[in-house]
Amino acid sequence: MKQLIIILISVLSFSLSAQAQKTVKGIVTDGKGSPIPGVNILEKNTQNGTFSDFDGKFTLSAGEKATLIFSYLGFKTQEISVSGKNQLTIKMLADNTQLEEIVVIGYGSVKRDKIASSLVTVDGAEIAKQVASNPAEALQGKAAGVQVLSSGGSPGASPRIVIRGITTANGSTNPLIVIDGILQPDGTSLNSVNAQDIESLQILKDASASAIYGSRASNGVVLITTKRGKEGKSVVSVDLNYGVQYWDKIESADAQEYIRIMNTRRTNDGNAPLFNPDDFQGEGTDWWNEVVQNFSPILNANIRLSGGSEKIKYSGSLGIFDQQANYSKGFYQRITGRFNVDYKVSDKLTLKQDISPRIERWENTPNLLFNSLRIDPLTPVFIPQSERVGRNEFSIYGLSQNLVPNPVGQLARQFNENDFFGFFSNTQLDYKITPNLTFKSQFGFNISRQTSQTFNPEYFIGPNRQLEINNLTKRVTNNFDYVINNTITYDNTFNDKHYLNLTGGIVFDSENFDYLQGFRDGLPSNTNVNLRQLDAAEGETIRANANQATDNILSGVFRTIYSFDNKYTFNGSVRVDQSSRFPENGRTGVFSSVSFAWDIDSEDWFNSETINNLRVKVAAGEVGNQNISRNGQFFSVGSGNFVFGGDRVVANFLSQFGNPNLRWETVRDKNFGVLMGLFNNEITIEAEYYEKTSDNLLFSVETPNYTGIPGTVAQNVGSFQSRGLDLTIGYNKKWDDLTFGANLTLSTNESRAIDLAPGNEVILGQRRPRLGNRFVKITELNETVGLFQGYQTGGIFQNQTELNSHTSEDGTLIQPNAQVGDLRFIDQNGDGLLNDDDLTTIGNPFPDFYGGLNINMNYKNFDFSMQWYGTYGNDVFNINTEYILAGTQNLNVLAGLEDLVWSPTNTGAPYPRLTELDRNGNYQNPSDLFIEDGSYLRLRNVQLGYNFKIKGINNCRVYLAGQNLLTFTNYSGFDPEVSSGGIINGLGVDSSGNPVAKTFLLGLNLTL
Amino acid sequence: MKKLILFLTFCMAFLSVGCDADKLLDQPLQGRQQLDDFFSSEENAESFVNSVYQLVNGTNWNQVNFQRQINEMASDDNWAGNTRQPRPDITGIAQYNVFPGSTYFNLFWENHYIGITRANIALDRIPGIEEIDDAKRAQLIGEVKFLRAFFYFDLLRNFGGVPIVTTYNEILEPSINDKVRSSVEEVYRFIESDLNDAMAGVPLRSQQSSGESGRITRGAVQSLLAKVFLFQEKWGEAQAMAKTVMDSGEYSLESDFANIYKVGNLNSVETIFEIQYINNQTFNNVGGQFSVTNGSRGDRGWGWTSPSSDLENAFLSEGDNIRLRSTIIKHGEPVFGDPAVTSFDGKPSENKSGRTNRKYYIPTGERPDPYQRGQLPLHYIHLRLADVILIHAEAAYFNGDETSAKTSLQLVRDRVQLPEKNNLTGENLRDAIWKERRLELALEQHRLYDIRRQKINGVPRIALILGPQGSFVKYNTEVSIDPFETTNLLEPQNSGTLFDPNIHLLWPIPPEEIQLSRGNIVQNPGY
Repeated sequence: MKQLIIILISVLSFSLSAQAQKTVKGIVTDGKGSPIPGVNILEKNTQNGTFSDFDGKFTLSAGEKATLIFSYLGFKTQEISVSGKNQLTIKMLADNTQLEEIVVIGYGSVKRDKIASSLVTVDGAEIAKQVASNPAEALQGKAAGVQVLSSGGSPGASPRIVIRGITTANGSTNPLIVIDGILQPDGTSLNSVNAQDIESLQILKDASASAIYGSRASNGVVLITTKRGKEGKSVVSVDLNYGVQYWDKIESADAQEYIRIMNTRRTNDGNAPLFNPDDFQGEGTDWWNEVVQNFSPILNANIRLSGGSEKIKYSGSLGIFDQQANYSKGFYQRITGRFNVDYKVSDKLTLKQDISPRIERWENTPNLLFNSLRIDPLTPVFIPQSERVGRNEFSIYGLSQNLVPNPVGQLARQFNENDFFGFFSNTQLDYKITPNLTFKSQFGFNISRQTSQTFNPEYFIGPNRQLEINNLTKRVTNNFDYVINNTITYDNTFNDKHYLNLTGGIVFDSENFDYLQGFRDGLPSNTNVNLRQLDAAEGETIRANANQATDNILSGVFRTIYSFDNKYTFNGSVRVDQSSRFPENGRTGVFSSVSFAWDIDSEDWFNSETINNLRVKVAAGEVGNQNISRNGQFFSVGSGNFVFGGDRVVANFLSQFGNPNLRWETVRDKNFGVLMGLFNNEITIEAEYYEKTSDNLLFSVETPNYTGIPGTVAQNVGSFQSRGLDLTIGYNKKWDDLTFGANLTLSTNESRAIDLAPGNEVILGQRRPRLGNRFVKITELNETVGLFQGYQTGGIFQNQTELNSHTSEDGTLIQPNAQVGDLRFIDQNGDGLLNDDDLTTIGNPFPDFYGGLNINMNYKNFDFSMQWYGTYGNDVFNINTEYILAGTQNLNVLAGLEDLVWSPTNTGAPYPRLTELDRNGNYQNPSDLFIEDGSYLRLRNVQLGYNFKIKGINNCRVYLAGQNLLTFTNYSGFDPEVSSGGIINGLGVDSSGNPVAKTFLLGLNLTL
Repeated sequence: MKKLILFLTFCMAFLSVGCDADKLLDQPLQGRQQLDDFFSSEENAESFVNSVYQLVNGTNWNQVNFQRQINEMASDDNWAGNTRQPRPDITGIAQYNVFPGSTYFNLFWENHYIGITRANIALDRIPGIEEIDDAKRAQLIGEVKFLRAFFYFDLLRNFGGVPIVTTYNEILEPSINDKVRSSVEEVYRFIESDLNDAMAGVPLRSQQSSGESGRITRGAVQSLLAKVFLFQEKWGEAQAMAKTVMDSGEYSLESDFANIYKVGNLNSVETIFEIQYINNQTFNNVGGQFSVTNGSRGDRGWGWTSPSSDLENAFLSEGDNIRLRSTIIKHGEPVFGDPAVTSFDGKPSENKSGRTNRKYYIPTGERPDPYQRGQLPLHYIHLRLADVILIHAEAAYFNGDETSAKTSLQLVRDRVQLPEKNNLTGENLRDAIWKERRLELALEQHRLYDIRRQKINGVPRIALILGPQGSFVKYNTEVSIDPFETTNLLEPQNSGTLFDPNIHLLWPIPPEEIQLSRGNIVQNPGY
């Protein structure tokens, strides 16, 4: 790291060696006369330049007759001649950024007002200000309809980005990531990008914008433009932050409460108590404290050098990220580099070469909270010294009373290492055939190699908690993915009124994967790390596996943009895709879009004092989804073993039931939007309504078990339609020393099944083994997708009279096995029997609305920002309830459960009585007992910064930041920020991952 | 010039893509044989049929076998046993506090149908293979039909009438979702038809090469058919079919009862259908599971399914020490046939009865190292001659042929040196045959099916054994002085009292299946 800084500084000082001719001094101000710091000042046609300081002042040695270029984001660039002047006063004029801003769209870029689609731009500076590991986290709350959901508090976990709700049924909601025009492979997380490298980020929300990406765009598209060198002085910037992460403790019952509850569960059933309370003294083991390590560190460091001349521009950066888990095992480390070079060969030809290597190392973070909460508090972490004779160091852990794995022992036995090396290259050639006609050719590739090694030591804790022979698995995965884009763009304006932009091209996208895995047991040592190689293993069990796969997509793209007099804008695009993931008859997909925008404020007759900007737009388009296992179409034969004649023979079977009729999933959508700017854009309002219809929805369907099909079959199950409203209200105001900005986003989204294919009239999801192996999510025609189903409960039976009166019309007891204190289940069809016919809808995982509020303030040298995010009105299925309230299998329970369960002296309790037999099935049937309101409001990020004025340093900012510091919710699970799986199966189901941590950080931004 | 070369390179790269578009877009799956190519040879046909056999016991402990173990717990021969591990989904069923959603019902159901579908695929494809000897083709088809019948018979005995899937093609059609349960009679008819079809193609045991032992023989088909007749109370047909097996000269009783379950004694003279298990670390699941799942927690086992003192008393009342010592191991006593163990650790603190099944026990000297599930070299017998002889005895009795019944009964008693019961007649003879069946086949996973099937005055015997007034419950709650069972009350002494004859003669259909079939599959009454 130090060496790098030295190198960068020497490069910097080299570029600073300027010729001394004359000294120009001056001040740069805005229209109101306030000084602007940080304005880039460059002597034209040289690399000589400087920045204005905090008082807007600058000093520069320049040629006698030099021309200086003044540029600053948000202001128009000015060129001023210094000839005959030594003192300059420069007034920078505000740029009408909304209209003039160039936005990147698929296979090109145009001015924002030429686009009629729904897209959102997030400036790189805003992303860089975030202290998160992943640029995705910085998107939270920036754009209506874009949800960034935590995927848990494990180091390196990549958040899920969900654009306009989940439409796919298959779990992956990741949008397509496109970096500088190169489509990234499926499943690419934004982890691969250093947030500090991002110049801008565009989210294509509707299909009219993303249809140009066709078959891979159904989850939306995120376009990333990386920082490139700018003409001018070399700039070095350093960003550093360091913080600690903290989990709020969940209290579970101590030994005494545990014993009371376990015994009561049995004595309530008339059985002998489980424990003699006299045998145990004290509170027992506090497993949370044994397992969780709070205040684990997180570090982010980044350095960048950029600059360039008219001919060559360069930008280089190096970033380091290190996050440790809140356990003694588990971490994630990443080093990213990015080197972008632009070479202007001639006025016609420009070459760009970007390379970005990336090294990652991580150790899987276990999820041990589950076991820490479930294991009984009576068990000691370690067995007594006297019992350790003949046991190795992995065998000294206590075997729990309820046979939950000892989480401290699990931690000790985890030996897992992962190394990743990735190399991304993007070569681009732009050739201006005529001033209006540009040919662009691009070749981008990703090479990556991942090595994972897992060692399992020999240990013995109990009969089903042992490994007699240690073993080692090593897996090497290679990916080679490449993209070839060849496009031609025609761009011209006729008669000052007709703007035309035509783009056409052919693109090819290939993903190639292979892996090699070896397993062997019998390593000579449990502890010698130098012997943890397959070469050292001596056991009889040896396994080798390897395979490879290729996915190719060949496509043609075409787009037209036409705009008349800056009033009427029309966009249209077509993409034809052929994908190798589908059988030949379903291989080709055609995806097209049209959109139209009307800038009403540009009309001559429009004359409003308050409304300075008014635009309406309407769009329709379609995109595809090929996100299904590449095996989906195949009928594959697997192999296993059997024994005849005392010898092993091969046994072959059909392991994968394919579907030769698989087709593209297509998402058609419509978008209507209004954009309004009031009081000179002090207030901006953007409202959009959309309707997305997914046809031939791909889903892995579970068939009845009597079909003998193990697992699932990929099918096109029908059409779902999701509708929603995205509303963004912005308020930006500047007083003398104070600037204030607020951005409120609100969104709604809900999906309905509008057509279901034969054989899929009812789609079930999320089978819960503890709740009778029943499915708790159901999708039916004309209903909301993935509703929760189960028994509706009608409170708790308070007395025998209530029990006796819970009958059908003919007097049959509906719950013959129930007792006072048990749950009353509603017999929906009134037939006197409680069975599957009485399952009904008990919850809706879709929120009424969700949204965020971002506030930014600057006062003198202080800056302050905060981001809130929340959802309202969504139901969550809390799987944890199956365990930590029930005590089933003698699992430990939440502290204070005695006050929460029904007893003759606690009749107002929300949960049913304690019983081990549970003949009424209180905790064995899916019911609304497990459904909770998942509404929450969370302070995702809060930051306070101070800018120091230091001579010779352009910018020096120190900040304090906190993440997830406050959460308001009634939800009882680990974390209300529930995000798992696809719309049919996972939405709204809390499977209790590691919760997101509260993080406290201190940071520094420095620009030289 | 350089620019031009670069430019051209890009164009070339692109063109080369364009030329081979079709080739690029056909990306066959790598590393996996495809079904349509697979059935091309005799060898492949055979290896596919081998996979149907896998489902007879399942490849993992929980798929098929553990439900059979739970069935044993739900009879008077066994307790759930393990009082250390709180598993209501296991112990609940043993106590007839039945939880329909038990994973073990689910897996048992699912895996039987996986076996049926593998059988259906084989039956669909094997007739079309050209490169195969006709006799071999008939043999493989015969094996598969036997196995399919075996699967349906097991489903029938546990769940009653079940949906019958007979072909591979129908499962790929949307209409497969409309299946309903067939009646018990229809399923029996289908089983009989499959067994009759299987008969001709499969060889006699004596015609098998040594490498084929374990595959289906004609004797196996006939024995299963005899049992299927017995369960339908087709006494005459059952008697005749059992007699055919007994007279075939293909099988004889093992002279020493202890040798029936003996490591290495594969394909013994008495065995009619067994799953062979070996120890071979190179391959997964070539060995058995039972010695661990059933073994004592003091002996590296899990402690599930422990023999009851009620069963022990049945042996003692008959003076049957030879079979008792080869059936039950008791805490603190030596293990018969394992000289290394002089005082067995049955862990009564963690086990209801301190007893363990000797039949699935591997003596310490014969244990492989490591001693782990999936690698235990003790075979598992589904059909053996003694079972067939007792089918013959029982069927003959109900057929009014007491003489034949007594002859067969005595065949089995002679081996274990028990006296003749020639003076018995009528119900006494019937009870003697039933008791003999209990003792001879104890802990071999027949008991629950037998006491559900056997009736006294139209009442299933299980209703007299279990339930609040059942003999087993009464014995345990009022009579028993067993030192282990009466002291370890973590498994309640009145287990079985919740038995209800209106519900518990069948297990529940897994609720998952009712949901997946959208209610077309109807639950059994009472669940």
